Amino acid sequence: MNLIFTIICIASIIVLAFTAPDKLLPSLLGGAEDAAKMALTLFCIYAVWMGLSSLAEKSGLSRGAAKALKPVTRRIFRTNDDEANENLAMNLSCNLLGLGGAATPYAVKAINALEKDKNDFAQKLLFVINATSVQILPTTVIALRASEGSASAADIFLPSLICTTVSTVCAVILYLLGRKIWR
Amino acid sequence: MALIIPVIFIIVFVFSLIKRVNVYESFTEGISSALKFTFSLLPCLAAVFMMCALFEASHLSDKLCSLLAPVFGALGIPQELTKLVLIKPFSGSGSLAYLNEIIKNYGADSYVARCACVCFGSSETVFYISAVYFAGMKVKKLAMPILCVLVATLVSTVIACLVCRVM
Repeated sequence: MNLIFTIICIASIIVLAFTAPDKLLPSLLGGAEDAAKMALTLFCIYAVWMGLSSLAEKSGLSRGAAKALKPVTRRIFRTNDDEANENLAMNLSCNLLGLGGAATPYAVKAINALEKDKNDFAQKLLFVINATSVQILPTTVIALRASEGSASAADIFLPSLICTTVSTVCAVILYLLGRKIWR
Repeated sequence: MALIIPVIFIIVFVFSLIKRVNVYESFTEGISSALKFTFSLLPCLAAVFMMCALFEASHLSDKLCSLLAPVFGALGIPQELTKLVLIKPFSGSGSLAYLNEIIKNYGADSYVARCACVCFGSSETVFYISAVYFAGMKVKKLAMPILCVLVATLVSTVIACLVCRVM
């Protein structure tokens, strides 16, 4: 991230210095403003889902779900930590249900829990799975198509399912191979 | 499918009542951790968004697009999608705006728009996720996992454009 950030910023600033030096500051400020707006949107999403997930946690519901999924998560992520397993289970179930907003806080909690064991294999694997999108029903896109007058807005369901499966499987295989090679 | 969300809420609320949890207090507690969480994201968000704004303002992103369009074309990805495919890993809202534009310009049921929708729906904002997930962690060597994800996303984009031709 450090490398990408530095290269893109320096290259862009140099180009801007030659083409439109007066645009540099406004675009930086605009970026920060977009970030602030984005943070507000994110807070709204997280307020709903983390409110609900706190309820699920307190009532023992998420512990139950985690127990049911523990054999799966323990084997995939090679961890015995209960807190990590619970959050991993919740992250995966939210992802499958298409609740991306709810999945992110669980992922961050799981990564924090895995940090204690220095289990970077599981941390990176979780990132790889989440970053390739494991959504079954792309709700945003379907809603967008419907609002633009599509004849059958949901007909992208099957192609999307194929693609998201391919990308996740492909990324996990590449990651496992990559780990072997660079070890 | 639209019933999933109400059903989840009902299950959680009813279950909490049975277990005699203070619903209001726990819900508020969750929101206060959401607030802390959002604040912890802000520095990363601001930096990444500034980088994107610079990239866009310097027209380097347009140059990269026109440079990569023939490469993508050779892989069977329509050139109208080049920008969407390139922006998606960096910015969810930026690429959503661009997706909207594609749907408006070409019509919701056109081949290009359908491809764009499938690509958008089956990929994620990779750099944003890596920034959020690993903020404050000591994990090193993230380049390899990120590269894996990007390659896999490209593969699925190629497949999306193929699948949309037949389905």
